[in-house]
Amino acid sequence: MAAIQYILKRLLLMIPTFFLVMIIIFLLVRLLPGDPAIAIAGDRASDADLAAIRERLGLNQPLWMQFWHFVTNTLQGDLGRSILMRAPVIEVIANRLPTTLFLTIYAVLLSVLIAGPLAFVAALNRGRWPDAVIRTVFQIGLSMPVFYIGLILLTFLAAQLRWFPVGGYGETFGARLYHLFLPAVAVALYTSAIIMRNLRSAIIEVVDAEYVQFARAKGLPAHQILGRHVLRNALISTVTLLGLSIGNLMSGTLVTETVFAVPGVGRLMLEAIFARDYPLIQGLTLTFALLVSVVFLLTDLIQSLLDPRMRLT
Amino acid sequence: MTKKMTVAAALLASVAALPALGQERGGVLNFARYDGSNLIDPIYADRNPDIWMVGSLFDTLLRSDENGSIVPGLAESFDVSEDGSAVTLTLREGLKFSDGSALTGEDVVFSLDRARNPDLGPWAGLLGNIDSVSHDGRKVTIELSTPDPTILSMLATFTTGIVSKAAFEAAEGETDQDKSAALFAATAPGVGSGPFYLCGFEQGTSMEFCANQHYWRAGADGEPLPYLDGVHFEIIPDDATRVLKLQAGEVDAAEFIPFSRVAELEADPSIEMNLFPSTRIIYAPINTRETRADGSPNPLADPKVRQALNYATNKQALIGLVLQGAGKPMTSPLMAAATQLATETDPLYGYDMERAKALIDEAGLAPGTEITLTTLAGSADDGTIFAALQQMWAPLGIKLVVEQVDNATRGAKNRSGEFDIHTYGWVNDVNDPSQVTGWLGYTPTANAVGTGWENSEFNTLFEESAKEMDPAARAQQYAEMQEIYAEAAPLLFLYETPFAVAVSDAVEGYVQTPLGNNQFEEATVSR
Repeated sequence: MAAIQYILKRLLLMIPTFFLVMIIIFLLVRLLPGDPAIAIAGDRASDADLAAIRERLGLNQPLWMQFWHFVTNTLQGDLGRSILMRAPVIEVIANRLPTTLFLTIYAVLLSVLIAGPLAFVAALNRGRWPDAVIRTVFQIGLSMPVFYIGLILLTFLAAQLRWFPVGGYGETFGARLYHLFLPAVAVALYTSAIIMRNLRSAIIEVVDAEYVQFARAKGLPAHQILGRHVLRNALISTVTLLGLSIGNLMSGTLVTETVFAVPGVGRLMLEAIFARDYPLIQGLTLTFALLVSVVFLLTDLIQSLLDPRMRLT
Repeated sequence: MTKKMTVAAALLASVAALPALGQERGGVLNFARYDGSNLIDPIYADRNPDIWMVGSLFDTLLRSDENGSIVPGLAESFDVSEDGSAVTLTLREGLKFSDGSALTGEDVVFSLDRARNPDLGPWAGLLGNIDSVSHDGRKVTIELSTPDPTILSMLATFTTGIVSKAAFEAAEGETDQDKSAALFAATAPGVGSGPFYLCGFEQGTSMEFCANQHYWRAGADGEPLPYLDGVHFEIIPDDATRVLKLQAGEVDAAEFIPFSRVAELEADPSIEMNLFPSTRIIYAPINTRETRADGSPNPLADPKVRQALNYATNKQALIGLVLQGAGKPMTSPLMAAATQLATETDPLYGYDMERAKALIDEAGLAPGTEITLTTLAGSADDGTIFAALQQMWAPLGIKLVVEQVDNATRGAKNRSGEFDIHTYGWVNDVNDPSQVTGWLGYTPTANAVGTGWENSEFNTLFEESAKEMDPAARAQQYAEMQEIYAEAAPLLFLYETPFAVAVSDAVEGYVQTPLGNNQFEEATVSR
């Protein structure tokens, strides 16, 4: 019961958040210099053409009226028509979103799969060479831009060794796993580096904790100590961090999707900004906000499951 | 039959079969594009990625040949009346759309009326002199309100591509826009009058062209073009990825190759690096207004300063730095050398630092004058241009500072005049110099490309040339306009660049025209 109440409360709290996001993004895109009408008709258009386009798009209305339309339409589930794609924003996003979600979830899984075991190896070998090697490699991963990592992966693993395709995103589930492997690795490297560092120090902290020392003294087998005490306690902060990284991961797709020619919402956002496609930018921002809110909610729920001390209130 | 005769017959048969054997047919060409199309409708196509595809799907009444001359297209013959008030054309016999339905005068009237309707597309102004279009069987008559020397070029321009009236009217939707969007939706079977029709479309991802079995033009083997079964387009915005994709053999062709990669691809034996002649020019509009947007006096209002900047700019060096040599300095102040009526002024403001310094002294420009160059953020080319100009102009006592903006902001600044100098580029849409000349120099069009330059003599010449039917007189007017423009230098005249398209050595016959249109009808791919 407490959990359901908590979820409902959190969902209610999302309403003012969304309203704020709507105000901010509405004003931000309009503060940008540049005119959607010019983006549509091109630099060469006459003033009369531009006026006609502004009229058609309702851009000549006062700001408050445009905002009113935006809010009321959004509440009715209508995000407007994309200027660039000449189709309903919802349709455009729905077409592209699955690819990005696939890529993001893939990257999260890879981050955990890469970072988890290595964090254990590093923590349990603290100060010895495996620890040093792992930490150095991840430090390099942290300090390299995603597009650069992407290009290196493409050049060697795709173009030269031909283990993976250079671009595209596949039709079937298996083909997607194969096509999106390199982009997922490129996105995951940064997150996995953060997770690895955090998990490593969490493990070290827990291993040194008195209750673990006590369990060891009691003669509990190592796997039980690791599973029941160390892992569970070390995971709490890591789950939080992973949740927070999802936002990062999604912004990482902006660059990755362009480098790897993956048609997702990240690339769409860049295109929308360049074209000053107000409805599409607004729709995408709301979608991102919704996704991040849901991820945060899930993170909190998982945390409370891991640590009963964190009560859902 | 004797043995001798058999051999002779066999020889004859093999000779007869040669042309057919010599022409490869079939296969799908995989083409990597830098940006996707949104709406490949002849009248709504407004961005180059849309415009450059229209010609493959919708044929025009007339065509431009390789030399830029106007030749018959869907119309087998054409005639302009003596007084220039009407054009009559005769359609070829048995023309069909890709769905097998007949292409008639009715479709031509429908398409041209749609193209010249100013309430619809942005290109209606190009056909503003058309008074009416009518047909009588295969004969199409276009009545003009005033004689128009560009009319034949316009009838060879993408916006006058012929669409199927029946298919268009049958498309879902209330308005012309809705119907157009429905016709080009992913699920709709496209109808084409060009060598291909649209048979698949995932916006922002991929696009499929299928061969139009009913296309009127014949290939070298006497069969209808195109040779290919189809073209598959993939959108790969990143330059490096597009090149990698070609090198890995995942695509057969990649467009917009960065010039820094041209030499490397030229050295690759499995790749043919094409540099197609183009009408693209790179130039920098100079704000010529007496005061800047903030009210301060504008040092660039003095033509001597603008001339000095042009003399002090070593274009050959810029071409080396930015294009790795793959380009040439502008020779006409208003257009690329490939454009009709371009005058060859070679060199146009050749590098001459002494002269530049003298002009700056004459103009009395204070040492340390600050000038802002507005460039595209993220553009490596613009970054290089700025760094080079900063050094090249320093001896003139000019302190060049940079302002980096995105494309939409640059466009807005151009319109409002809030700039000193900014980078820009142009490619002709029409096979006629009037469009680029109007854009760069005619004040009413766009304030002479946003520079605010106004010259009544130039404006009058432009207006007169728009109705001058005598080709020699018109050429003279264009020569004069170019002379006036060069002297006034409202631009920093930079260079022309080719279209860089790399194809695998399995591909033959692909062409990008000087206007940028992609021509696949005579392309082949052997696997």
